[in-house]
Amino acid sequence: MAENETIQYSDDMDLEIPSDAGMTVKRLWRSMGRQRVRLVIVTVSVIFYTILSVAAPVYSAKIVDLLFQEIRAAVSGERTFRVTWDPVGREIMVLLLIYTVTGILYTFQSFLMASFAERLSLELRTKISRKLDRLPLSFFDNHKTGEVLSRVTNDLDKMSEVMQTGLLKLFTAVGMVVGSLIMMFRFHIGLTLVFLVFTLLSMVSTRFFAGKTLRYAARRQQAVSRVTGQVEESYSGRAVIKAFNREERSAADMREAVEELAETSRKADFMMNAVNPFIRLVNRLGQAVIAVFAGKLLIDGVLSVGVFQAFFQYVYQASEPLTEAAYMINSLQSSIASVERIFQLLDEEEIKPDPRQGTGNEAETSVIKNASAAAMTEGRVEFRHVKFGYSPDKLLMNDISFTAQPGQKIAIVGTTGAGKTTLINLLMRFYDVNGGQILLDGRDTADMTYGELRSNFGMVLQDTWLFDGTIAENIAYGRPDASREEIIAAAKAARADFFIRTLPQGYDTRLSGDAENISAGQRQLLTIARVMLCDPAVLILDEATSSVDTRTEMEIGKAMNELMKGRTSFVIAHRLSTIVDADLIFVMRNGDIIEQGNHRELLKSGGAYAELYNSQFESTDQ
Amino acid sequence: MKTVFRFLKPYRRLCAFAILAMLLDVAGGLLVPKLTADMINIGVESGNLDYIIGKGIAMLAVTILAGAGALLGSWLCADLSAKLGRDMRNAVYEKSLTFSAHDFSRFGTGSMITRTLNDINIIQQSVVWCIQMVLPVPAVCVMGVAMAFAIDTAMGFLLIGVTALIIVLALIVTRRASEIFGRLQQLLDRMNVVLRENLTGVRVIRAFRKEKDEEKRMRKSFEDYAETSISANLLFAGLESTAFFVINICIVVILWLGGDRIGAGYMEIGDITALTEYSILILFYIIMAQMVIILLPRARVCIRRIQEVLETEPDICDGKNGAGEIGLSAHAEDIIVRFDHVSFRFPDADGYALSDLDFICRRGETTAVIGGTGCGKSTLAQLILRFHDVTEGSVEVSSMDVRDMTQEELRSRIAYVPQKAWLFSGTIADNLRYGNEGASEEEMRRVLSVAQADFVSSLANGLDAHVAQGGTNFSGGQKQRLSIARALMKKADLYIFDDSFSALDFKTDAALRKALKQEMADAAALIIAQRINTILNADQIIVLDEGRIAGIGRHEELMEKCSIYRDIARSQMKGGTSHGRE
Repeated sequence: MAENETIQYSDDMDLEIPSDAGMTVKRLWRSMGRQRVRLVIVTVSVIFYTILSVAAPVYSAKIVDLLFQEIRAAVSGERTFRVTWDPVGREIMVLLLIYTVTGILYTFQSFLMASFAERLSLELRTKISRKLDRLPLSFFDNHKTGEVLSRVTNDLDKMSEVMQTGLLKLFTAVGMVVGSLIMMFRFHIGLTLVFLVFTLLSMVSTRFFAGKTLRYAARRQQAVSRVTGQVEESYSGRAVIKAFNREERSAADMREAVEELAETSRKADFMMNAVNPFIRLVNRLGQAVIAVFAGKLLIDGVLSVGVFQAFFQYVYQASEPLTEAAYMINSLQSSIASVERIFQLLDEEEIKPDPRQGTGNEAETSVIKNASAAAMTEGRVEFRHVKFGYSPDKLLMNDISFTAQPGQKIAIVGTTGAGKTTLINLLMRFYDVNGGQILLDGRDTADMTYGELRSNFGMVLQDTWLFDGTIAENIAYGRPDASREEIIAAAKAARADFFIRTLPQGYDTRLSGDAENISAGQRQLLTIARVMLCDPAVLILDEATSSVDTRTEMEIGKAMNELMKGRTSFVIAHRLSTIVDADLIFVMRNGDIIEQGNHRELLKSGGAYAELYNSQFESTDQ
Repeated sequence: MKTVFRFLKPYRRLCAFAILAMLLDVAGGLLVPKLTADMINIGVESGNLDYIIGKGIAMLAVTILAGAGALLGSWLCADLSAKLGRDMRNAVYEKSLTFSAHDFSRFGTGSMITRTLNDINIIQQSVVWCIQMVLPVPAVCVMGVAMAFAIDTAMGFLLIGVTALIIVLALIVTRRASEIFGRLQQLLDRMNVVLRENLTGVRVIRAFRKEKDEEKRMRKSFEDYAETSISANLLFAGLESTAFFVINICIVVILWLGGDRIGAGYMEIGDITALTEYSILILFYIIMAQMVIILLPRARVCIRRIQEVLETEPDICDGKNGAGEIGLSAHAEDIIVRFDHVSFRFPDADGYALSDLDFICRRGETTAVIGGTGCGKSTLAQLILRFHDVTEGSVEVSSMDVRDMTQEELRSRIAYVPQKAWLFSGTIADNLRYGNEGASEEEMRRVLSVAQADFVSSLANGLDAHVAQGGTNFSGGQKQRLSIARALMKKADLYIFDDSFSALDFKTDAALRKALKQEMADAAALIIAQRINTILNADQIIVLDEGRIAGIGRHEELMEKCSIYRDIARSQMKGGTSHGRE
């Protein structure tokens, strides 16, 4: 249903086997909470419903036989038969009563189940949303967004669909099949055996089809991936295609991929479409054979007309659920597997709880207290013998120690993977250290609540994250109470006001989807404005200006310098020109600080920094 | 709707056969109960086993025929769906190739991908469902009622009544359900957006201590979705219950009324089964059709989205003039590009992105363009390539207005390195052949070396090394160099480098420019850059500021008279000058 990256086929069956179905079902049962009562009521209702449904044909058989006899009697007595209260009418009314009660039961249980599954998935989704708050950053860094997303949306939707209709169907089907078979055996054993033979046949063919469908669906999936890749690539690279006059070739390539998809889809679709007609064919053949046998029995007087008709009603009632069983078991299985994945997510290890309890209010109030908290924090940051590795057995940082005095500008340079961003991750406590301490104004950050710690920091990252909302809302993200004037002032300070005004709706322009309406540089300006508004004690700029040009960078730089005044700031930059005025420059390599000092000292020492710096200007000599 | 019919038109016969096959299935479904009834009626009365066997064989025949119809119908539908999808995808893709950059950006890459893949998929599915489940409904109703009339007039009217009742019921539910389903789809999208934001923005969210707010935002979207889902479920539960109840009432009425009619000699006892079957069959088909109809609004949205693509008139159309004549004058002329008081405004923007640009690029010379983000540098390059058309003034390439040539002719004269170094999946050689279809391996190696991309020879497979989609298996700098090499493969009058050196380290940048100088002695070069060092030695530097030319000249001249250029230079050379002082 969702607009995801690839085409989704409703009929894609994935044979997923849950690793511990029993355990998962037990846990699911526990998560149902008060809803369990509902399920019990539904079960009781289903039992009565099934009994009545099985009984109804017996009753109608009785009526038909009664009618038949009465009419025969009337014909032989040379009078016209009319349905009267006694005896036929009464029986018909009893049948009506049975139907009415089944109808009421059916309505009752359907309405109860209508909200059952959705409430259950809402419950689980709410748990997940709480869980996301407590998951460590490593979870987000190690899991693909799409994968987690699909657990929360698709997996739960699948479960809810199966629970909603499947469970009810399964309950009734079991009762129906058992009840019908018992009645059929009571009517006539031979006929029932004939029926069973054909049912077996259709079950076997269902399995056969299921296997084939799976194979064809897999082949189609390959073709889908190919077309998806081709389409993504061609649309993303269309400037190149046009510039090189490759339109014809590209269209031909596309035709080829699309043809392959058509070819495989045709087969997969046919298999999918054909299952039901084929099974119906087998069932109907069975019915024809049964009809002939039953007809003979009718003539022989073994069966009455009513029983003949009732038997056929049972045949319909029993054959459908039986042939559906193969599919139902598959979908039940994969839905349990889905639930299992949800539970896995809920079982993920959590971050350490805040040292002081009662964080619920604190997180909210700290937002409001933010400004004053910042004023109170001096911003002295100290790393003491910090050890850290993304996996504990492989340390990246062995022993990092430094002190950043309040108001200092600290620059961190080094190649990719040197540990620059890791330093920030530790400072913000996105990750916890494996050894040593990080102190803010002399207090161990591990002793602070996350809210308290982070209220002191303002962050601008290379990855510009904005949410689906207006520009004003995005700028005011950290301070939802900010006035429009404050927002505009922040935007002006971040040099974003100019471009915002050129947008059709100005500050109320909605940034939706991947915000293709503004450029990467402009997105970055917005994230800078967002921090400007928050006015934090310590600033973290992680390649913050990498996607804006040098002149804009310089302009922002001016504003940033203003902002950095009196605040400790950590700057990661790949353009060295932006950090020459830093109070302290760390050169990092393989997780260690190999050089530190200011620009002048480092140049003089002629080490790695000097080499890096001078390489910038070699070209001017030519 | 028109759009779908347009694509179905070539397959009219296929459609017709598919519908016929489905009807065969329906007819079979209706005949079987009739045969059963006959069996009871006559077989029982006469006690004739042969008659029963005869009917049994007829039943087998009907069943097989109907089954064959259904299977054939399945195949024809699958075939139709495959062809429909193929044709629509090709049409959308080919249309997209005629779009200008602006046309395309109106849709956006993401949306175009969705349109080409998912939207068409939904349309395919809906067409097939319509043929399989909606179109047979009138036939089922008419045939069912007709068969009932054949048995007995009173029963016929009864069945008409029941059918009408169910149809009315289904219509009411459909109207309500389409609305709920529309909302459900929106809420599902919303849920996806909010979740995705929470997953990708976790650092920002935590840094701003917004966990609780985000949790609320997520919960809100979950609750809205659940609520709407429940109301949809309730609606269906209501429909199902009512429909089954109506059928049961119908059976009771058939029994009571039927008893009278049998007594009066208008029909026979076996007909009761047949009538019951007919009403169940009619109900079944109507409910199935209704399920499909509820999903149709979604398909209608998709159709509209496809239609939008197909009906977009490309901004840019080829000029009328033949290419031959310019070919002659081109060589005589030294002026490769001329901007004649060019102004450009994006069709939906208020302000001009570029105003009054007036300059010339000559053969053998390098023109550089420098300026801030969003000052219109890339747009300028795109005007030459005619990815956009100018609003005022004119752009001439080889003394001919770009609007008067075919786009193919124009672009065959230009080699272009885009800002975003995009490589196609395949091999390195495949990518290089973009510039020159029949290039030899030596030629490729030579050009790679000019582009400072010698790293290719150190790869395991050399020129045949695999390139992942978008070139993601290469670093930014490698991608840029390969992208430059691809452009150099092409013999052109003009080489455009749109910020193509940004990911290169300074050493490589310098070496590359040196090599390029020789390579392009006979052509004009247009270099768009952010780094001053890249363009220091250009024959002319154009300084763009908010879409206007703030200065034009050589480095030294600009340092003297252009304050904006000085600003840019200072921002990049600050360290350099202080270094010099030491």
